[in-house]
Amino acid sequence: MATECLTDKKVLMKGNYAIANAAVLAGCQCYFGYPITPQSEIGEFMSGKMQELGRAYVSAESELAAINMTIGAASTGVKAMSSSSSCAVALMQEALSYAASDQLPVVLVSVMRGGPGLGNIYPSQGDYFQATKGGGNGDYKLIVLAPSTVQECVDLTYKAFYLAHKYKNPTVLLADGLLGQMMEPVTFKPYPYEEIDNSSWALTGAKARDGRIIRSYAPLADDQCVYLEQLFNKYRQIEENETEWEERDTADADVVLVSFGSTSRNVNTAAKILRQKGVKVGTLRPITLFPFPSKRLQELSKTVKKFVVVEVNMGQMVNDVRLAVNGRVPVELVHKPVGTPPAPDVIVKKVEELI
Amino acid sequence: MEKDFILAGFGGQGVLLAGEVLANGFMIDNKNVTWYPSYGAEMRGGTVNCSVVMADEDVSAVLKSSADFIIVLNQASFDKFVSMVKKGGTIIVNTSLAIEKRIRDDINYVFYPITKMAEEKLQSIKMANILSLGILSKVSGLISLESLEKALENVIPIHRRNLIPKNIEALKLGYEYDLLKV
Amino acid sequence: MMLTQVFKIPDSFRKDARYTFCPGCDHGVAVRLVGEVLDELGLRENAIAACSIGCSVTIYDFLNVDALEAPHGRALAEATGIKRARPDKFVFTYQGDGDFASIGLAESMHAALRGENLSAICINNTTYGMTGGQLGPTTILGQVTTTSPMGRNTEYYGYPIKIAEHIALCDGTAFSARVSLDTVANIRKAKQAIKKAFEVQMKGLGFGFVEILSTCPTNWRMSPQKAHERVQNEMMPVFKPGVYKDVLGE
Repeated sequence: MATECLTDKKVLMKGNYAIANAAVLAGCQCYFGYPITPQSEIGEFMSGKMQELGRAYVSAESELAAINMTIGAASTGVKAMSSSSSCAVALMQEALSYAASDQLPVVLVSVMRGGPGLGNIYPSQGDYFQATKGGGNGDYKLIVLAPSTVQECVDLTYKAFYLAHKYKNPTVLLADGLLGQMMEPVTFKPYPYEEIDNSSWALTGAKARDGRIIRSYAPLADDQCVYLEQLFNKYRQIEENETEWEERDTADADVVLVSFGSTSRNVNTAAKILRQKGVKVGTLRPITLFPFPSKRLQELSKTVKKFVVVEVNMGQMVNDVRLAVNGRVPVELVHKPVGTPPAPDVIVKKVEELI
Repeated sequence: MEKDFILAGFGGQGVLLAGEVLANGFMIDNKNVTWYPSYGAEMRGGTVNCSVVMADEDVSAVLKSSADFIIVLNQASFDKFVSMVKKGGTIIVNTSLAIEKRIRDDINYVFYPITKMAEEKLQSIKMANILSLGILSKVSGLISLESLEKALENVIPIHRRNLIPKNIEALKLGYEYDLLKV
Repeated sequence: MMLTQVFKIPDSFRKDARYTFCPGCDHGVAVRLVGEVLDELGLRENAIAACSIGCSVTIYDFLNVDALEAPHGRALAEATGIKRARPDKFVFTYQGDGDFASIGLAESMHAALRGENLSAICINNTTYGMTGGQLGPTTILGQVTTTSPMGRNTEYYGYPIKIAEHIALCDGTAFSARVSLDTVANIRKAKQAIKKAFEVQMKGLGFGFVEILSTCPTNWRMSPQKAHERVQNEMMPVFKPGVYKDVLGE
């Protein structure tokens, strides 16, 4: 088992271990989890490392308990996380709705596998909706970050803790079985973000003050109206400040390929092949799935003739791209239901058929 | 340049570890590299395999439908992967556990009794995986023995460091496979 | 004339606390006992409560302590998270029987099995109070509720759970007791039990638990006095008060 910590040296590491190690380096004080393939290495790494460092680790009795323990720890202001996959993240949706409403800095690593139901353990992007639209009740948003390399798993784990605390909002690192299981060289730089002061809200015992209540219960309808407006003002702020994407060769592009996560690796190669064949192709990869780079897609729709969304599901993110483009130009879908992303030559062929 | 490798065998033959050594070797050579295992239901009883992709640029697809070099340590893996060798590519076959059979004429074959040689020369069939990397080093010319030796240090855990000399021996033995009398 | 103070609101209560329970409901007595024990052990400024769903949720309107509202059944999971993050804090839950022993049974049992240094108070009133008096995990055989109109029978509903006994069986439990609030003497005993459940946490001995037999006059359709008679005549024979585990052996 990998036991790396801070190092400038390149190490070859599985995505799951890299995420766990990054969480430790980000200062995560508490980890709560329940095993599920393909992310069990995260809990395995944490069980040893957190004990070694004298931090908190609990093998929870269920994912329900794990995410609620994470909420409990986060309510005291410390950095806390859980990790899980697809059908088990489904079990956590109620708690994520509470955490969003409670405005707590919960970090959840979601390593997607096949669904619906038990599905299978192969990579998938079928939980785009689960992460960005939420399976919990009511109006709320989670911040969602989607890495495409193992190095980015590290960098975005750092960022997940930062954004969760900066905005007091549950934040999801949305990886998939491919990123979790593959190894790639990574380096671990120190946590690059400022520490957020949470002394104004954290539950620390009511020393020389009245007791603080963290709750989502607003018995009066008017209170709830005011509250939700405030919550959504925060979300608008997040959209303004934190929307992040990677764009390549879009300046003269007729066609822009849109994809996220591990699929973008294959899409970038497909785009290169298409360029070599003389097709003016660019790529756009949302790194934050919420906030989604809708504005940028809208701008591009003024110059681009067609968008092609590539994803490993039955077509989820394509809906957000269509909303952003709002009918200005066609938005096509190239997809594979489950498994490793479509090979670059398959993407090339399908794009050629569509244009 | 981008080169694809597949290593396959029975569970327990150490193909995932061998792949990790190979991937570490490429990392040491400052190449971009990915390693990706078959995982889950396949792991018990059946064949296990991993894909290693080495590239000068970013590695895109980590799992391809074909590979330049494929190492198969048993018959089931030969049957499964022989069709996936790229035209002009090479398959390294462990004839201790697979029949010597040229079923395609557009690829190169290296037939060698890897398990037998590991047992006879190194007194351990467990060394077959690393021995096969020595063969790969020779026939591919893409990774040096020195890099693989350094890679062993990255992969073999500290409490097993005493096994490194034997593994280096296995690499060398594999590298000289064509000079040895079988 | 000398005036002697014989009654005061516990210091651990919020100054603006308003009584929100139904007349004759034992929640009022139980919450007050928790407040008194917090006072006596000097815990208010170091305490964090994980609150449940149901009538018990309003404890944060009474107690002037830091409090987190948990989803239904998850109070002990959230309390576990709080305690693991801040082991120096005094962490407790105040839950109903539905929250503790039905929807949250897994979280409750596992907190006890892990021996979490937590204290949990569970109100057993043999019904789901806040939603209008439906059958719950502690509804006794024969009891009529809005979802057992012909009374609880085992064919349709199975048997009620004896919580304090189950919790006592967990190796991580340091203290488990069942008390009632039907007489002044029993109220005194209940307070002692709550104190014990708090003290085992303070001493780092493990899980401290008190099940409190309580009235629900509204949903039982009874006067407060009749309701307390029901506690004595119908509940106590089934749910026998007593100390089921005490590692201090006192």
